[in-house]
Amino acid sequence: MTKINSKKIDPITIEIIQSSMKAITDEMFITMRKTAMSSVIYEVLDFGVAMFDHHGQLASSGSGIPGFIGMLEPGVQSVMAKFDDSVVHQGDIFITNIPHKGGVSHLNDVVLILPVFFEGARIGWLANKAHWVDVGGAFPGSISAEATEIYQEGLQLPCIKVMEKGNINQAVVDIMQINSRQPEITLGDFWAGIASMRAGEKRFLGLAKKYGADTLSYAIADYIELAEKISRDALHRLPEGVYYASEVTDDELDIQVTITISKDEFLVDLTGNPPQQANALNASFDATMVDVQMIFKAIASPQTFANAGTFKPVRLLVDENSMFAAKYPSAMSVYYETSIMVFDLLWKALAAAVPESLPAGHYASICGTFLGGPHPDTGVALSIVEPQIGGWGASNSRDGVNALYTGYHGDTFNVPAEVSEQRNGIMIERMELNDESGGEGKLIGGKGIKLYYRILADNWWITMAYVRSCVGPWGMEGGLRGSHNYINVVKKDGKKTRFRICTALALNKGDVIEVFTANGGGYGNPNERPVQTVLQDIKNGYISAERAKEVYGIG
Amino acid sequence: MKSIRAASDIGGTFTDLVYYTVDEKNGLATNIKAVKVHTTPSEYQKGVMNSFDKANVNLSELAFFAHGSTVVINALTERKGVKTGLITTHGFRDILEIARGNRPDFFNLQYQKPTPFIPRYLRHEIKERMDYKGNVLTAIDVQDLYPILEAFKEEGVEAIAVCFLHSYINPKHEELVVSFINEIWPEVALVASHQISREWREYERTNTAALCAYVQPIAEKYLSKMQAALHEREFSGSFYVMQSNGGIDTVDSVKKTPISIVESGPASGVLGAAALGKLINENNIIAFDIGGTTAKCSLIDQGRVNITNQYMIEKDGFSAGYPVMTPVVDIVEIGNGGGSIGWVDEYGKMHVGPQSAGAFPGPVAYGNGGTEPTTTDANLMLGRINPNYFIGGEITADMKAVHDAFEQLGNKLSLTAMEAARGVIKLANHNMCNALKLISINKGYDPRDFALLAFGGGGSMHASTLAVELNIPKVIIPANASVFSAWGMLMSDLRRDYIRTQPVTFSIEHADSISNTLSAMQQEAMEAYQKEGIVKQDIYFEQLLEMRYSGQEHTVQVSVEGSEVSSEYLLKLKTDFNYEYNKKYTYELTNAIELVSYKVTAYAKVDRPSLAKITSTGNIDDAIKDIRKVDFDSAGILNTPIYNRDVLFAGATFSGPAIIEESGSTTVVLPHQQVLVDDYGNLHIEKEAVNHD
Repeated sequence: MTKINSKKIDPITIEIIQSSMKAITDEMFITMRKTAMSSVIYEVLDFGVAMFDHHGQLASSGSGIPGFIGMLEPGVQSVMAKFDDSVVHQGDIFITNIPHKGGVSHLNDVVLILPVFFEGARIGWLANKAHWVDVGGAFPGSISAEATEIYQEGLQLPCIKVMEKGNINQAVVDIMQINSRQPEITLGDFWAGIASMRAGEKRFLGLAKKYGADTLSYAIADYIELAEKISRDALHRLPEGVYYASEVTDDELDIQVTITISKDEFLVDLTGNPPQQANALNASFDATMVDVQMIFKAIASPQTFANAGTFKPVRLLVDENSMFAAKYPSAMSVYYETSIMVFDLLWKALAAAVPESLPAGHYASICGTFLGGPHPDTGVALSIVEPQIGGWGASNSRDGVNALYTGYHGDTFNVPAEVSEQRNGIMIERMELNDESGGEGKLIGGKGIKLYYRILADNWWITMAYVRSCVGPWGMEGGLRGSHNYINVVKKDGKKTRFRICTALALNKGDVIEVFTANGGGYGNPNERPVQTVLQDIKNGYISAERAKEVYGIG
Repeated sequence: MKSIRAASDIGGTFTDLVYYTVDEKNGLATNIKAVKVHTTPSEYQKGVMNSFDKANVNLSELAFFAHGSTVVINALTERKGVKTGLITTHGFRDILEIARGNRPDFFNLQYQKPTPFIPRYLRHEIKERMDYKGNVLTAIDVQDLYPILEAFKEEGVEAIAVCFLHSYINPKHEELVVSFINEIWPEVALVASHQISREWREYERTNTAALCAYVQPIAEKYLSKMQAALHEREFSGSFYVMQSNGGIDTVDSVKKTPISIVESGPASGVLGAAALGKLINENNIIAFDIGGTTAKCSLIDQGRVNITNQYMIEKDGFSAGYPVMTPVVDIVEIGNGGGSIGWVDEYGKMHVGPQSAGAFPGPVAYGNGGTEPTTTDANLMLGRINPNYFIGGEITADMKAVHDAFEQLGNKLSLTAMEAARGVIKLANHNMCNALKLISINKGYDPRDFALLAFGGGGSMHASTLAVELNIPKVIIPANASVFSAWGMLMSDLRRDYIRTQPVTFSIEHADSISNTLSAMQQEAMEAYQKEGIVKQDIYFEQLLEMRYSGQEHTVQVSVEGSEVSSEYLLKLKTDFNYEYNKKYTYELTNAIELVSYKVTAYAKVDRPSLAKITSTGNIDDAIKDIRKVDFDSAGILNTPIYNRDVLFAGATFSGPAIIEESGSTTVVLPHQQVLVDDYGNLHIEKEAVNHD
């Protein structure tokens, strides 16, 4: 790249450009949110936007959730690997979604990539990735833990141009349309993604025009260097050492990690873990790398920005063909449960070392709940894609937080009962804190939730796969494990069945789904919880009198 | 004869009073004056009475008094409300605690959720249920309230909030609970959600009712004290309270649901901007207010103030905050004001704000021991503010301390003191520019179609630079710029917003039901006003529909004339919607359109005299009081004439570079800009007309 004399560029101008970059991705984010057709995008924020330098390095990102920050760079890199510069033009838009090949997550998360040209030269890239509600395949919503190959999980878009020199490739659009069970929503979200990138492109070009391509490129490089410097300084302040954790999964697999923090590296060793699975609970190497990036950021400098520089001190070791770096064509639609399992494992390994940054274990499952069927008023087929909120762990100084989205999520909003009932034609019978036991300690784990959906029409279905359904969130320093994530399906005749995984289970009018999400892990010995505090817990109904007697000997 | 009209705005530090006399001969408002006194926090009404004393206003001569107050927001942020209980639908008592489950500070795994205003043991459920169409699924039995009310009494509850699921579409059950409690426990403060909001989203509506109940007794007591204090001085005019929606309302109405005044101060400034725009024929305005710690801006489109129903308190990048579903003027606020501090972080990056030097120690120039340079100090360094006429000459700026402070700041970046001062101004302008873009360009408005109306202590110092940056063709600096918020209240009509969520496909077969809903809402508003003795001729309406493509969440507003939506008109409104959507998002769809909410704004005219014009005779040279060197950044350091604003007259015109000084503020005019003084003493600054361009 052309390195220009930095002395000529005053620090004020650099600062102004860098804060404008943040404004660019913020604007892309807002545009996407306001134009999207599905609640998984506009409420759940299952999407991310980002801008890159001309090498395809992440420069700035706009995201409501941390899990999407590091997800777009592999996509841009895959375009640069596949297409020679001579065939990348102004007005092109690329589309890709294969997780093993730069798509990172699962086929539902479709990536759009736009090269930005100024005065004939490419000065950077913009990208947008969003969860599309249905990309075809064997299962409604394109998600099932039971998938065994990616071919069952929907339409694969192998890094191709969906737009060339400003002209839409209608053939690709038609293929996308015919392959979706929700074609209108799918195309609406596709156009929303393009609108968001165009909003970003306008601003990106505005910066180039105002400050010149060289100054802009210098400011971007400086921003990436700054992020790296912040990370390296933070690394110096973290306690050096080797940290280990293991857990047993609901499928009785032993998983383990060793993390080495030294002055110049954050090394995560995930070798020796189970091989890739014959189901959809696999994650790509890139997805596992996102976990490593997230936990590093959480303990290093959670309240600053992130770009490619932030993650330079991070290194990941993992066996080929492990379930944390599965190879094509393994199924991956439920990758997110595997990823959060890894995230939780890394978290556990470090919690005792940096207790000021990390509480005890939280409910650690996306609890993705996919429901669909005809709307009782109109008969129109619809689908609901909802992660659930749950309980967070206690820390060394306070009780855990009640009813919050996972550490993988962020500024994600649940869908209000009033809106959901109208939009989806179901009934939310209750939405309250989980009163099951678990997570007691000197400081108690936060409460999960108890959410009941009543189905109001025949021919509905549900798909879900929750982890931490058999082994609750871990406590610290003698605090108890929390409760479990699961659902009960209560048929109209009163027959109740508990599930941790199900695929396209048939539901009819009058059936009720009872969702329970886990209470977080406790901190410290329950005997040390002050009597007055326990009495207040009983008064507030956070614990029953019987359970208080059992665990605390009070009441 | 009652000939004085006054408005008072209580701020954190100062209580402003703006007033004028109506000339008996020509009926015009003349001699607008303002006084400032210290706010008296424990007994706010005393400060107001002090301001009347200082202004020498006899309350028996007062015809109209409008009042803006921070009593509600203070009670909320300081948690000084009363013990409040909640009654809600079975299965939903935790809604206040669950909230929306979001974690804005998303890398931080030690995030703390905001604590609900009502603890769990005071949140009670009752068996009742509506569906989303408003049908009763489970009827309520008010007898079930007895044990709940007993429990509340035992706990010393002083206020009750009621919110049931789907009460936005059918408030029947809430109404039954209200009348039952009013009968058996009339002393308790009681707020039901439908009295404030008829919009969906149960957490937001429940929280709004909870916060309203929590502050209701405090606000009522306060307003009663104010009434008593006014009465004691033989005030017999009309007393109104400024609301957050940019309009005033009667005291009795505000006492019932005081949450409507939560953000009244900033709202009145925006309202003032709209009113002034009407007076001088500027319909498209960006209102811009720079105070000590923040800058606020809001866009006025075709004379209409934008209102949001998604107001939040205590929300920032680190906290989800608390939603308040009451109509509030849509304002973007950033932490950049005159007192904002310029600083360099550990990585050598310069920033301005959001930390502020506040009122004490204040900017370095105050000489009160402040050592960190502020935006105001930078304006002094550049010669834009006169060190010898600082705060109207009340103090002499400590320029040595200012220079030292910038030298220290500059040393961290190898910049000279002057370069550092310019940097502070550039960064402050950049931050303000971003805020202005958020309300204009980002929402599909072209700044070239607007005038920038700047007020507050610092607005006039930065406006001309920002206008150039954003291609805004004209800047307006109003007379009384530093007390403009209070002035805005004097220009206000009564305003009540009625918003109803009632989703329906926007198609011809629903034209009748859409018309019926609009008329019913107008009728409701009309009856409420008429009950209070307001005559029909004085009432007027504005209607907006919130629409979206079916399946979307976010809506776009479309304006409707009248309440009758014929099939033809409906088709035109569809076109309007597509147009507005395209303007914002650059594309349109052929998907079905859904109408989500109806917004009816009901105004009642307040009789108001016209403003008198200022004199149109004078000699512009008499207004020049000095010539001094002023730093205009890249345009250089220029010999600049300093004008005394008090000597300017209608029709006066002159070119930049120029500085215009008055006691409360300083206006900066750049080279190649032209100033024109209008009939009311407002300054209009535009790009100089040049032939060779």
